Amino acid sequence: MSFLEAVGHYAIRQVEYVGGLSIQFWQSLRFALRINPFSARRLRWKRVTAQMAEIGVRSLPVLCLVAGATGMIMALQSGAELRKFGAMEAVINLVGTSMTRELGPLIAAIVVIGRSGSAISAEVATMVVTEEVDALRAMALDPLDFVLAPKYVAMLVMMPCLTVAGVFSGILAGGVFVYFSLGMTLLMYFRRTAAILLLRDIVSGLVKAVVFGSIIVHVGCLEGFRVRGGPEEVGRATTDAVVKSIFLVILADLVCTAFFYFFWR
Amino acid sequence: MTGAPEPGSKLPAGRVSAGDPLVRARGLRVRYGRREVLRGVDLDVYRGETLVILGPSGCGKSTLLRQLEALERPTAGSVEIGGVDVLKASRREMEKVRRMMGVSFQSAAMFNSMTVGDNVALPLREHTDLADSTIRLMTRMKLQQVGLSGVEDLYPAQLSGGMRKRASLARALALDPEILFFDEPSAGLDPIIGAGIDQLILRLKEAFRMTMIIVTHEMQSAFQIADRMCMLDRGRILAVGTAEEIRKHPHPRVRQFLQRIPDAFDEGSSSYITGFAG
Repeated sequence: MSFLEAVGHYAIRQVEYVGGLSIQFWQSLRFALRINPFSARRLRWKRVTAQMAEIGVRSLPVLCLVAGATGMIMALQSGAELRKFGAMEAVINLVGTSMTRELGPLIAAIVVIGRSGSAISAEVATMVVTEEVDALRAMALDPLDFVLAPKYVAMLVMMPCLTVAGVFSGILAGGVFVYFSLGMTLLMYFRRTAAILLLRDIVSGLVKAVVFGSIIVHVGCLEGFRVRGGPEEVGRATTDAVVKSIFLVILADLVCTAFFYFFWR
Repeated sequence: MTGAPEPGSKLPAGRVSAGDPLVRARGLRVRYGRREVLRGVDLDVYRGETLVILGPSGCGKSTLLRQLEALERPTAGSVEIGGVDVLKASRREMEKVRRMMGVSFQSAAMFNSMTVGDNVALPLREHTDLADSTIRLMTRMKLQQVGLSGVEDLYPAQLSGGMRKRASLARALALDPEILFFDEPSAGLDPIIGAGIDQLILRLKEAFRMTMIIVTHEMQSAFQIADRMCMLDRGRILAVGTAEEIRKHPHPRVRQFLQRIPDAFDEGSSSYITGFAG
């Protein structure tokens, strides 16, 4: 196969993948919007709450730990440089804005990709291999409705919550550094942080959380649904889901950051 | 097609007239990459009959069944179920068609995260407005029909292979389907449990006069449960007929399959083995 042919095949595969992702997104949106706790289809809501516990509650400890450590690292690194200019108080601005706008949602996404994104693709791929997805279709149930939609709704609810928890942990860790280096109380630190944060910072962080959550759940499910063959394919699907999710999350982060930079100054 | 049974009076989907086949496949071709698995299959399945699809491993039996179940799109050809062309059917029509079908998969395909009771109740919860108490009662009845009682609260992983197949059958029966599909009902089971599944199929046939399409390569089981048989080889139908007609069929490949005569070894492979044996 010539080089040009190989590039062409690769490009077609990527376009096909993005097309598949878009179709899945629009089809599942319809099902996700129909899920609510008062609907007659109680089974869906039960699955949503189970997924909320799995994606959200069980990710919380590790997320707080990672976000806290990142907040502390950032405070230490920036403190070391800002000390030279006598601008130690700028650490508060730096930790507050970067955690809220950027690192909070990104760390939450990476933790969720590692914990839930991989689990979602492994679960869906196993369902394909064991004919459970065929069984759903044979029962006139759409796998996007039964499998994907509850995970999607759970992710849309839990990702912003996890992001808020991650942002708070990071800022708190920065506060601990400021307390020991500047002697500023935590209450004062939080007041200063609240004063420097703009609505745009909070909204951009939450929008990113929703976008990242959508990417994680859709890539995880699509990788699972695309599995053909035996159980050995489950591992491949899981690895692909993690790699593609990280790549697409960072790409989406760039797009969101550019959007907020240009359209909401 | 020979040996078509008497058609029943109840018609599905309002498009099938008495005497018309309930499931009809025409010119079915399925290709995976360069490999052609089905090479122009025509098949009719009539109301109330049990059709067994036979053939050697890899001949395309399961692929044909998946086509008849409308789980895959063929490369060419058509499949009609209850008079509805499944390739041209709208989403709503397909839903109707699927609700008149029950499928028991080779691997049982039970949802491992749900109890057996929830598995069987799933189609009832999704497609009916019945109260929870009624659904629980119906679930118990369906499980009793397949000889399983008191397993509602167990998980599929806690059941034996035979019990899982029965539970999967109970789920397939949940909406009282008109057509029941079985993929290798006794595969991987010991002969006693396998015979039990055959008995169960015969009981269901007698009690509900359902149309059944069964894929198997177990000869004894096939001759016991079939009204008609269809022998498939290398993606083509070699013979269709009653058990007796198949038994007397003159096609050499059918005779070879029935008499369990192995394919001839080529010289190269046998000399290789002899070389090892010394």
